[in-house]
Amino acid sequence: MTREIAAGETVLAVENLGVRFGGLVALAGISFEVRAGEVASLIGPNGAGKTTAFNAITGFLTPSEGAIRYRDSRIEGLRPNEIADLGVVRTFQKTSVFAASSVFDNLLIGLHRRGGARLWEILLALPRVRAEEARLRAEAEEILDFVGLSARAGEPGGALPYGEQRLLEVAVALAARPSLLLLDEPVSGMNPVETASFMAMLGKIRARGITILLVEHDMRMVMGVSDRVVVLNQGAIIAEGTPEEIQANPEVIRAYLGHGADRRAVGRA
Amino acid sequence: MNRWATWLWLAFLFSIPVWMTNQYYLYILINAGIFIIAAMSLNLLLGYTGQLSLGHVAFFGIGAYASALVSLGFDLEITDSYTFVFAPRPVWVGLLAGILVAGFFGWLVGRISFKIRGAYFVIVTISFAEVVRLVALNWIDLTEGPMALNNIPPLTLGIPGLWELTFWRKVPNYYLVLVTCILSYVVIARLVRSRLGRAMIALRENEPLAASVGIDVTRSLVLAAVVSAAMAGAAGGLYTHTIRIIDPDVFLFIYTVTMVIMVITGGKGTLAGPIVGGLIFGILPEVLREVASPEVQWVMYGLIMIAIVFFLPDGIVPALASWWRDRFGAGGGGAESQSEPGPGPEASGTVTDTMGERA
Repeated sequence: MTREIAAGETVLAVENLGVRFGGLVALAGISFEVRAGEVASLIGPNGAGKTTAFNAITGFLTPSEGAIRYRDSRIEGLRPNEIADLGVVRTFQKTSVFAASSVFDNLLIGLHRRGGARLWEILLALPRVRAEEARLRAEAEEILDFVGLSARAGEPGGALPYGEQRLLEVAVALAARPSLLLLDEPVSGMNPVETASFMAMLGKIRARGITILLVEHDMRMVMGVSDRVVVLNQGAIIAEGTPEEIQANPEVIRAYLGHGADRRAVGRA
Repeated sequence: MNRWATWLWLAFLFSIPVWMTNQYYLYILINAGIFIIAAMSLNLLLGYTGQLSLGHVAFFGIGAYASALVSLGFDLEITDSYTFVFAPRPVWVGLLAGILVAGFFGWLVGRISFKIRGAYFVIVTISFAEVVRLVALNWIDLTEGPMALNNIPPLTLGIPGLWELTFWRKVPNYYLVLVTCILSYVVIARLVRSRLGRAMIALRENEPLAASVGIDVTRSLVLAAVVSAAMAGAAGGLYTHTIRIIDPDVFLFIYTVTMVIMVITGGKGTLAGPIVGGLIFGILPEVLREVASPEVQWVMYGLIMIAIVFFLPDGIVPALASWWRDRFGAGGGGAESQSEPGPGPEASGTVTDTMGERA
């Protein structure tokens, strides 16, 4: 479909991205890149503009200025489903599943892009449609197995415990076959055990060749899984680098903790 | 077991004209069947995509008028010197035209109004139905306005020269409506269990999440509107060729309300809901007519409706399904809840709770 992308090549380029709500500047022309195969994290204090950046990248709001490039396409201003079609899929900060549908149906909905049956084919119940259904069901089972929710397949999505709903969200996003996965605070509200197993799963997702952009408050997780960290504060980028560089950066420490804090505090925050 | 129940139910429906010789009862069933088709079509929008169309009767009426006009023929004076003459066509062409024209208007209304959803969609559909009614009332050259279109021919099927059947009597019309009902049911069932139907359900449940996994919101909703409108058009066509007279009253708001009531009391978002609701509210008024004066009738009709909505807020079918599950375990009910994504788990929980309180 698209040309092969070598690891390390820039896949997502955010250039001078600005978002204003009336007089309020949510993002003041930020630029950063995400490279193929890496885990990049976007961090910053509350209200720094992280989710706004996510919304702009995934088409949930139209940027006031700047460009967003994914691979060879300009994606700013496209609709969310068009961006998903290019392989950029997100999860949401607030838990977001199809609550009344079974876990298995959640996955089938997520697999929408993986099917192509047309209305008339469906109404005639052509063998092609049945074969496609069987293939989608097999894929759904495979993904459920991957995230470890197979035992829950028949339960309604909204009835799962919180931690499992967050896993289901990731499973639904994975079903859409992303090449770039944007996770918005995926471990918020998880206990340390759940967070640890989530970090392990993140490694497995990455091993599938999926590039990950993460927004997260759990610093242990961010510093543990990220190749690169971009720090936002008040709508502007104040630092960018490896986790070690970020933890040593005085400006980051100041943004998080105010003046006089030491670097170890960032590690604990 | 489930399959046997379906075949038994179908056999029963097909046998009705054999033992029910009272033509008036058959007429009631034909009417109920037509409304069931319309209610099923509304259920696709209201129950599966979650969009309330309060002008659904417009598609029904458009199908009825289109089918009647095509089978009667008409002429339109375009300019002083040119008159467009449309010769009468066979009734099956009319029915097809009714479906297509209604489907086209479904597309149009969907295109215009799904960009502004929710309450705006409701308003647009109400206004649309009213505009269509006024057009039917005032475009007298075409529709005869309040004088009504008369002598609409019934459906004729056959092989030229060999065999022919004209649907004058109640029995063939009953079978015509029954077969159309079954076809409509199959269309809806196949659609909602498919990839496209899952997209519609996804929009009802969580639109941003649906969009984020690549579901085209507008496209899915417009598709639902087209299928729904075309099916309502088919119901309208059947109506026009069984009643054989049609006037602008077919667009009255009360008919939309009747359809909505059928869907909601039966259980929106379930396959069987509109059938159950349609049977109850298609037959009930006729039953009440025999036992009570008109005023008392309407009061009873209203009370029964309120009672159903109050005690079974999710409708009769989800309530029965959850009662069945509680009574006979998850075995039988599991398959049904898989295939019928409509009733939510919390929703059916509420029903059980409510019923528990009353018990």
